[in-house]
Amino acid sequence: MGTISIYIGRLYKDFKGGILVLPSRTIAFFFCLLLLLIPLITTEPYILRVLILSSIFAIFAASWDLLSGYTGQMNFGHALFFGVAAYTSALLNLHVGLPPWLTIPLGALAAVLAGLIVGVPCLRLRGPYLALATLAFPLILTGIIFVIPGITGGELGISGIDPLSGSRLTDYYIAVILMLGLGFVMWKITASKTGLIFHAIREDEVAVRASGINTTRYKLLAFCLSGLFAGVAGGMYVHFMRIAGPSTLELMLSFQAIIWVIFGGIATIYGPIAGVFILYPFMEFLRIIPEIRMLVFATLVVLILLFMPEGLTTWVRDKIEKECPRCKLRNIATRKSCRVCRADLD
Amino acid sequence: MNRVMKGAILLLLACFVMVAAGCPAPVVNEIKIGVIGPMAFVQGEHHWYGAQLAAEEINAQGGILVGDEWYQITLAQVDSNEMLSVTDAATAMEMAITVENVDFLVGGFRTEAVFAMQDVAMGYEVIFLGCGAATVELCTLVADDYETYKYWFRVTPINSSYLGMVDFLLLGMVAEEIRAELGIETPKVAILAEMAVWADSIVAAAYVYLPAMGMEIVGEWRPSPIATEVMAELSAIEAAGAHIIFTTISGPLGITYARQWGELEIPAASVGINVEAQKEGFWDATVGKGNYEMTMNTYARVNITDETIPFIDRFVESAGEFPTYNAGTYEALYILKAAIERAGTLDSDAVVAELENTDRIGTAGRIVFTDAHDVTWGPGYVTGLGVQWQDGEMKCVWPPADGSWEGVVYEGAVDYVLPPWMVEYWAP
Repeated sequence: MGTISIYIGRLYKDFKGGILVLPSRTIAFFFCLLLLLIPLITTEPYILRVLILSSIFAIFAASWDLLSGYTGQMNFGHALFFGVAAYTSALLNLHVGLPPWLTIPLGALAAVLAGLIVGVPCLRLRGPYLALATLAFPLILTGIIFVIPGITGGELGISGIDPLSGSRLTDYYIAVILMLGLGFVMWKITASKTGLIFHAIREDEVAVRASGINTTRYKLLAFCLSGLFAGVAGGMYVHFMRIAGPSTLELMLSFQAIIWVIFGGIATIYGPIAGVFILYPFMEFLRIIPEIRMLVFATLVVLILLFMPEGLTTWVRDKIEKECPRCKLRNIATRKSCRVCRADLD
Repeated sequence: MNRVMKGAILLLLACFVMVAAGCPAPVVNEIKIGVIGPMAFVQGEHHWYGAQLAAEEINAQGGILVGDEWYQITLAQVDSNEMLSVTDAATAMEMAITVENVDFLVGGFRTEAVFAMQDVAMGYEVIFLGCGAATVELCTLVADDYETYKYWFRVTPINSSYLGMVDFLLLGMVAEEIRAELGIETPKVAILAEMAVWADSIVAAAYVYLPAMGMEIVGEWRPSPIATEVMAELSAIEAAGAHIIFTTISGPLGITYARQWGELEIPAASVGINVEAQKEGFWDATVGKGNYEMTMNTYARVNITDETIPFIDRFVESAGEFPTYNAGTYEALYILKAAIERAGTLDSDAVVAELENTDRIGTAGRIVFTDAHDVTWGPGYVTGLGVQWQDGEMKCVWPPADGSWEGVVYEGAVDYVLPPWMVEYWAP
């Protein structure tokens, strides 16, 4: 009994020191907790559907942030990864009979391959040239899909795909847990040495190369990692929607990912997740005023960008937290001195 | 009237108002029908107008008799946003079923989105009457997996295979006219199809069927669906010596093409699909230069049945526009009413069984469903129409007025007319 109390005490201490110490971490913790507990409040299929799709698109948006937000490799055709994985998963499921738990990772691997195929020719390009080149790839794939309708279903897409699971509740937990898990993995990657190099490439690639780092390898790695996570989202989407069509490669989808990331906060990973979980349900809510739905949505996005140019989460974080000028650790905004080095925060 | 009397009357009135306000409203049974479509686009608007017109008429007649109880129709407008997002369309379908609690659904337009919406509706075993997507495969699913997909029926349009068949029948009729009037035994055909995937299959089929139909292909031109200039193509077609331009156009190109075809007086008859020419605004948009343009259509002011013209008049009066085939939601509601009344219940399986027995003389023809729950095409059923613009009016010219196609004649149909400048150019 005593041992259990010690462990509980330690756990609470870690929780208090690691999570409750910062408001942003507390918000993130309660957001995760709320997502996991929502089915206890409601099992309304429509609400669960909106949250499942939000989870899938959150992975997709965060994967764009990993590539473009962190390394600065501006990808305007991110739907390519989503679509490649969607079609791969659909074809493997329909023609080979593989179950979703196999087709989703295989689809993600196909997206990694797509990342390599896009990454290699694009490595020499920068800025708007890179953006335009990446924009072309989903269009090329869409063309290929229309050329071989016997395999891809052409304009109609591929239907009759197995569902993610048999029940909406299971679908929900698969999507949410995968989103939280993959979001955490992406966040850890960006916080690692690799993430630091990604950051550095965006800021000054020449300086990074002068430091003896093979930037080509790291940029390719970013393309592949981004493709992997976007691919998981594409595979999940296709098994949830049960159709893989040309819409999975549409420019609109690529642009949506960028809007979600810019809205939530670029180069943060949690920003895109917040962006999707605010904007996607908000768009659903706006169904009550269908005539001006897009107008209200666009106005909100413009206002946020006008008053919070670095994104919503970054703005909120800067309001509730302060960075220590000496040790660079973050503290709650109400503190006068740093929680670690005691340096003056004002 | 003295003051006491006035006061008594006012008191009485006040009591009456209070009692009336306090009385519970009479219980009205209702059947909720979701009208799902891209409401920001003309297709969704016509879904809505068609359904609204039918609901008003049915409710005015007392509603739908289920067993021995009358039910009023309540419509729920569901914007699928399917033109922009397939995901949105499927979510809208789920919202309609689980939040709006609709009993039945009508509508749908973009094929990929309809596939996604169909899956959601079938999952909830809610009857969905399609009024927009022509793809054969939507009904093939019913034949392949009846138990899952039996709640899907297509009311309009006729499926894409039949649409292709009508397209070639129209072409054949024009070729016959050229043979008879101009003595040209092997008319030369220029294919003018917009650069879009849906047009590819028609172009491919043309290469197979046209030689067998006694025609010669002189070339293929594929301008953009939004091209604002096709003079180069038309000049090349004229130079190639074409007698017929076989069109496959859905975009605004249809206006540009028809206007310039008339302006240049290209000596070739124009026939095929031109969606812009199906609309009443075509004449003004082409400043009358679209005279003699011919296209496939669903509705025209012709007695396909006795229901057709009164329906078009009522639709134009309420919506202010000529109905497109998406207004077939009107038909869908009447089909549903009849099936529910025959079933005597709102149970989906019982209503499906009665929908399968549908045999209705509707606004676009006699509607009977096939085993795959598709609308039957052919003489005596829904046929589709060929319409030609003649001096500012959209006239029905196919099925031919002389009954030469399977004996089918619609009262009000007129003869097809070759453009006079073409006759003058090629006259023997």
